[in-house]
Amino acid sequence: MVDKKNIFLFGYGNFGRQLYKNLFLAGHNIKVLTATAESIVNAQEDKVDLIQINIKRNDDILSLNIDQENDMLYCAMSKTANNLFLVLTLRALFPYANIIAISNSLENTRKLKYAGANSVIDLYEATSRRVINILTKPAVTRAIDEIIYKQNNLKMAEVIIPPTSFLVGMYVKDIAFKSMGVVLVAIIDKESEHELVFTDQRLSQQLEAGETLVVVSKIDDLKIFKDLVHSETHPFVSH
Amino acid sequence: MSLPVKKKVITFFKKKIDENTLKQKKHFFLSFAYFIESFRAYRRIKSFVYNLIENDQYPYKKYFDFFMIIVILTSVTLLVIDVKHHIPVWIDELDLYVVTSILILEYLARMWVYSDVHKIVIDEYEESRFFDKRLSFFHLFWKIFQNKWGYISSFSAIIDLIAILPSYRGIRILRVLILFRAFKMLRYTKSLNGFIYVLKNKKFELMTLLTLVAFFIFIAGIMLYVFEGDNKNPNIHNLFDAFYWALITISTVGYGDIAPVTPEGRVETMVIVIIGIGLIAFGTSLIVASFNERMSVLREEKVIVNVSRKKSLIVICGYGLLGRLVAKGLQKEGLEFIVLDKDENLVSQAFNSGYNTICTDASQGEIFVKLGIEKRISHVLCLTSDDIQNAFIAINVKSLNEKVHVTVRCSDEEIAQKMEFAHIDQVIMPEEIAGMMSAVYAGEPVAFEVLLSIIEEKEKTQIDEITITRGSFLEHKTIGDVNFDSYRLILLGIFTSKDNGKTLGEFLFNPSDDYYLHVGDRLVCIGYSAAIANLKKRM
Repeated sequence: MVDKKNIFLFGYGNFGRQLYKNLFLAGHNIKVLTATAESIVNAQEDKVDLIQINIKRNDDILSLNIDQENDMLYCAMSKTANNLFLVLTLRALFPYANIIAISNSLENTRKLKYAGANSVIDLYEATSRRVINILTKPAVTRAIDEIIYKQNNLKMAEVIIPPTSFLVGMYVKDIAFKSMGVVLVAIIDKESEHELVFTDQRLSQQLEAGETLVVVSKIDDLKIFKDLVHSETHPFVSH
Repeated sequence: MSLPVKKKVITFFKKKIDENTLKQKKHFFLSFAYFIESFRAYRRIKSFVYNLIENDQYPYKKYFDFFMIIVILTSVTLLVIDVKHHIPVWIDELDLYVVTSILILEYLARMWVYSDVHKIVIDEYEESRFFDKRLSFFHLFWKIFQNKWGYISSFSAIIDLIAILPSYRGIRILRVLILFRAFKMLRYTKSLNGFIYVLKNKKFELMTLLTLVAFFIFIAGIMLYVFEGDNKNPNIHNLFDAFYWALITISTVGYGDIAPVTPEGRVETMVIVIIGIGLIAFGTSLIVASFNERMSVLREEKVIVNVSRKKSLIVICGYGLLGRLVAKGLQKEGLEFIVLDKDENLVSQAFNSGYNTICTDASQGEIFVKLGIEKRISHVLCLTSDDIQNAFIAINVKSLNEKVHVTVRCSDEEIAQKMEFAHIDQVIMPEEIAGMMSAVYAGEPVAFEVLLSIIEEKEKTQIDEITITRGSFLEHKTIGDVNFDSYRLILLGIFTSKDNGKTLGEFLFNPSDDYYLHVGDRLVCIGYSAAIANLKKRM
C-alpha cells in the first residue's frame, strides 16, 4: 500500500523514539543516527541499530550515502539548537532533499523553516490542537484517528491524475466518487503547488492532468480507484 | 431572630419560678431546638442570609453591599447638608426610622448567623445527659451569651453598633458618629479585611515603628520644652504644645504654627526632621510590602468570584509551552477556563494575557473545592511538563469527583498505562502525536498537509461535527434525501449514537445513501465554515 521509503532519522531522544516506532509500524526502512549518549542508551534498550555521527563534520553526513531525490530526512534531536544546526547542515549539503523537523514552539518553527526544513511538525501546537478538539469536537478527533492514525482499513491518500486518465476534462460533479467508496477531500493544482483547492468550490470545474486528488477510502476500494484513475475508459460515470 | 434576646430576658425572671414549670420550660426549649434542627426551610433561609451578608464568594452579595453603601451615603449626605441648611423634618424622620431600622436589622442578622443557638442548646443538653447532670438554665444562657459575645465584642460589630447610635437625637455630639457609618462602608468593599490583614500581618514591625515614633516624640517634645518653654517661644505654652510640635515635625508635615526660635531648638529640629524622613520611609515600605503580599490573595478571591458565575469550567493545570497554546485555543473557541500554576512568573504571564489565573499547587484539593468541583468543573487538563506532577493532580481531582473528565499529558508509555489504571479519561503524549504525524507524512505528504491545514483551521475550510437533534429536519431522513452537495459539504462519515448520544458509537465511513439518520448521530463534515454554520443553524 504505502511506498516503502528510505528514512534517515537524526536523534533518538523522546521524539526520535516515538518517530521510529511509528515509521517502523508504517513499514519504512529507517536508519537511526545520533550524537548524544542518552540516545545510545535508548537505542540499546529498544534494540535499534544506530550510527553515531558528529553533526559538525560534513564527512560524517556525506558518508551516509543520502539520495536526496528520494530519501526523507527527519530531524528530531532533543536540543533545539542541535536540531536547527542539523537542518542547516543538511540543507547546505543536499539542496533538494526532503527535510522534516520537529519543533516545540511557533518561535522555533519559524527558525527551522528559515534554516531550510520543508515541513515542520510543531509538537505542542499539534498536541494543544488535539486537547482542544477532544473538548470541542470529539467526533472529529475520533474520525481523524480512524482515518489517519489507527492501523485499520481506512486510509487517506493522494492520487495524481496521469495525462492519459479518463478523468482529464471531466467535471467533478459528474464523477460518482461515492459509489466507488471514495470521499474526495481536496484537489491540488500543479501550478499553485501549495495552494489547496477544496472540492466544494471545484464542483463545476474540469479536472486536469497532473492535479492531485486527496481522497479518503477503504484500502481495497483505494486500490480499485487508483487503477481506475490510470485507466483510459470511464466505467463508473454517473449520468 | 429575636430568640437569643428572648432567652436572655427570660433568664432574669426564671429564678422565681418553681421547679415544675422550670422542667416544662426546659422541655419546651429542647423540643424547640430539636424542631429547628430538623426544620429545613429555616436552615435554608439562614444559609441564604449568611451568604448574602458574609460570604464574599456569593455572587449576589455585591447587590446587598451596594444597597448598604447607598443607605449609608444618604445618611452621611444628610449630615453634611444639615450643617448649613435646614432639612425638612420628614426627611430627618425618614433617615431616623428607615436607616436605623435597616442598620439594626443588619446588626441582628449578623448576630443571628454568627452561630446556631439551637445547636448550643442541644449540645449542652446531650452533654448533661451523658454526665447525668442537671442542666441549669443559668448555665445554658451563660453559654449562649458567651458565644454571641464573641460577635458583639468583635471590631466590626462595635463599629456597627456605634453606627446605630446617632439615631438617638437627644445628644447633638452623637450626630458626628454618623461618620462611623462611612467607616462601616469599608465592610462592604472588602478593603477593611485587607487593611486589618495588613495590620495583623505586620503587627510586630508596626508596633516597633510606633514605639520608636513615640520615643522620639517624647524626647524631642521634652527637649524643646526645656529649651524654649520658659517664655522664649511665645507659641509654646505647655508640654502638650511641645509634643504637638514634635509630631508635626517628625511626620514632616510641618505646619509652622509652632516653630523653634532658639539655636538649640533649631539644631534639634534638623536632627528630628532627618529621623522623621527615615521613619516615614520605613513605615511606608512596611505597609507597601504587606499590601503586595495581600494583593495576590485579593486577586485570587476576585478570580474565584469571576468563575463562580460560570456554568461550566475547564481547569488548565500548568502554563508551560503546551498550557499556553491550549489556553489560547480555548479562548478562541469561547470556552470558559481557568489557569493554575505553581510558578509565579508563569502565573503573571497568564494573568497579563487576560486569563483567570491562580498561583497555587493544583495537587492539593482545596483550590478545586473553592472552584466548585462538585458542580462547575467539567474538565481538568493536567499539562505540566512533569509526568509525576500530572499524575498527582489527576488523582487529586478524581478523588474529589470521579465524574470530572480528566486529561493527562505524559511522556512515557508506562506512566500512560498507570493512568488508565487510575481511570483517567484521556492520556495525551505529545511525542506520540508528533511521531504519528511524522509517519503519516512519510507515506502521504500532500494528503497530510491538506488534512493538517483543515484541522489547524488555517484555511476557510473546516472539519466539524453536527449532531442530529430530536425534531430536527434531518431526523429519520436518509443520506440520499439530504443531498450534502447542495449544502456544499463533504460528508466524511457518521458516528452512530450510543447511550442516547452521550458517547460516540461506531464510525461509519462514507455511509450509503439509504442510511437512516437517528437522533444522536453525529455527522463529520468538511466544508467552508459558512456552509457548516448554515447547516448547524438549520438544525
